[in-house]
Amino acid sequence: MLILSVVMILPIIYIFNHAFKPYHELFVYPPNFFVQEPNVQNFVELFWVTSNSIVPVSRYLFNSLLISFLSVVGVTAVSALCAYPLSKTPFPGKKVIFSTIILMLMFTPEVIQIPRYLVVSHLGIMNTYLGHLLPVLALPVGVFLLKQFVDQIPDSLLEAARIDGANELIVFARIIIPMCMPAIATVAILAFQNSWGNTETSQLFMQDDEMKNFPFFLSTLTNNLANNVARQGAAAVAALIMLVPNLIFFVILQSKVISTMAHSGIK
Amino acid sequence: MAGVRINHLYKRYGKDKHAVVQDFQLEIKDKEFIVFVGPSGCGKSTTLRMIAGLEDISEGEIYIGDQLVNKLAPKDRDISMVFQNYALYPNLTVYENIAFGLRMRKLPKHEIDLAVKNASRILEIEPYLSRKPKELSGGQRQRVALGRAIVRNPKLFLMDEPLSNLDAKLRVTMRMEITKLHKKLGTTFIFVTHDQVEAMTMADRIVVMKSGVIQQCDTPELIYSKPANTFVASFIGSPQINFINGKVQENPLGRLEFHTNRFQLKLHETAEDILRKNNQVNKSVILGIRPENVKLEGLFSETIITGIYKENELMGADRFLYLDIGQEKPLIARVDPDNRFAENDKVKVELDLSKAHFFHKDSGDRFK
Repeated sequence: MLILSVVMILPIIYIFNHAFKPYHELFVYPPNFFVQEPNVQNFVELFWVTSNSIVPVSRYLFNSLLISFLSVVGVTAVSALCAYPLSKTPFPGKKVIFSTIILMLMFTPEVIQIPRYLVVSHLGIMNTYLGHLLPVLALPVGVFLLKQFVDQIPDSLLEAARIDGANELIVFARIIIPMCMPAIATVAILAFQNSWGNTETSQLFMQDDEMKNFPFFLSTLTNNLANNVARQGAAAVAALIMLVPNLIFFVILQSKVISTMAHSGIK
Repeated sequence: MAGVRINHLYKRYGKDKHAVVQDFQLEIKDKEFIVFVGPSGCGKSTTLRMIAGLEDISEGEIYIGDQLVNKLAPKDRDISMVFQNYALYPNLTVYENIAFGLRMRKLPKHEIDLAVKNASRILEIEPYLSRKPKELSGGQRQRVALGRAIVRNPKLFLMDEPLSNLDAKLRVTMRMEITKLHKKLGTTFIFVTHDQVEAMTMADRIVVMKSGVIQQCDTPELIYSKPANTFVASFIGSPQINFINGKVQENPLGRLEFHTNRFQLKLHETAEDILRKNNQVNKSVILGIRPENVKLEGLFSETIITGIYKENELMGADRFLYLDIGQEKPLIARVDPDNRFAENDKVKVELDLSKAHFFHKDSGDRFK
């Protein structure tokens, strides 16, 4: 396990080192794993050079951060609001709805790209943040995870709250949400990863460059640089920027996530 | 403070026409401690949940005080309920758990504080107010659940098997505390349990249920001494009452006797009257006699029978003898622990037939 974890962590260390390598070190052969003369020249290049272009990199970064933040909030809210009635309120067609959601887990996103495009274009939300947000808002795995969690909350707890005088909204906000925090943290991470690394919405629904997000910028950067020497440093930094928020987000919520795993393992 | 009136209450699930609660009729007086008891699945919890408003009523009426509550939401019924698994909010401290209901009712802060402190003093949980439920023991959690119930000062307390998750020793203590609490608060209590000991020790009146139907509703004394039928007789009392199948016959002197395939017993005068009144001469009946009324050989030679000793249970203060008397089940006698027998010994026991009951062979109803 220890050896395996070392192997797993190598690329992450490499990305960190790579971003701080000056040009001559980036192209040295055989490549060095660790940086010899760390400097921030690559960062300067990425932000300074691109600030003169039509859309500065900071704009992409801002777009990405905003969309990711909104999608984390949105996805967790939607998933929880969906999971609670699916788990605790009897209504006709409940099983069909839940089965449909489970079924959705099996599709790759590419399958629904065309219908998704049609929906977004008909709604007239091309080139808006809503166009980024709406397609990622429904996260079947989030609903599934939260429903399994809510299932484990004993009914008597909700009944006790109702007798105590709480309405459904208070039951949801004061009992269900706090008790599902581990699952919600997990869903938040999934939602963040889902939208932070997502180039699909930028490619399909955003024609204006200033509405596109950072991963899209990164993919154009690396695509054009396939056999190029220029801007390799900037690309290395961009890769780091892609990685770091994921890392931070995970570290913050990590303890909660692990308790989700433990929870689902025991019961 | 209020009584409860339940009229012809039914509960049916879905299209399945079989009712899990049938024609439940009961009038509970103000300040009374009522216990619903019965085997699992007898509809006692369902009835309680209908009173609480957690289950819909299929048919019938429930009045709390003078108010018809059929259509009222649980929170508007002015009741509180204690659940078997305590149902404490795990994310809130003990204080907040108890205060939850008051906060929902938007009481001013100082009043909430006063009420919570007061309730926690009564239940002696003051030191734990800042803890979370998971840091408490079972008994403490149960107290917190009680605290949450009493703090609102409701008209009616509902308790759904609140003691069954506690260990035996704690159950006895909590039993007494709940009885004390009832006296102190003077509120109407409805308590559901499957444990006959809880029913006997706590109740003002016991409602014995089976398959959704009330079998008997009486004081603990009457339930024990005058059970309505064989079900009630066998459900209440430990060890179980003895049932002996036999036939009532008239001897040449005009006295009634009880005949089984192994022995005959001269019946007690009151029993004779009852059996004659119910036209049971020359008919098969079931004789019910409690183990404590089966004694080792005594004065009344007319009611002595011989059984073959099979096994025994020592309970400390008593020894239960299991004697084969040619019936389906052995006869249980409750005797002094000093009596020891070897297997297949012949043991003479005397039945105190003045305390015996006679039940209809088919319906199981007791002849009165």
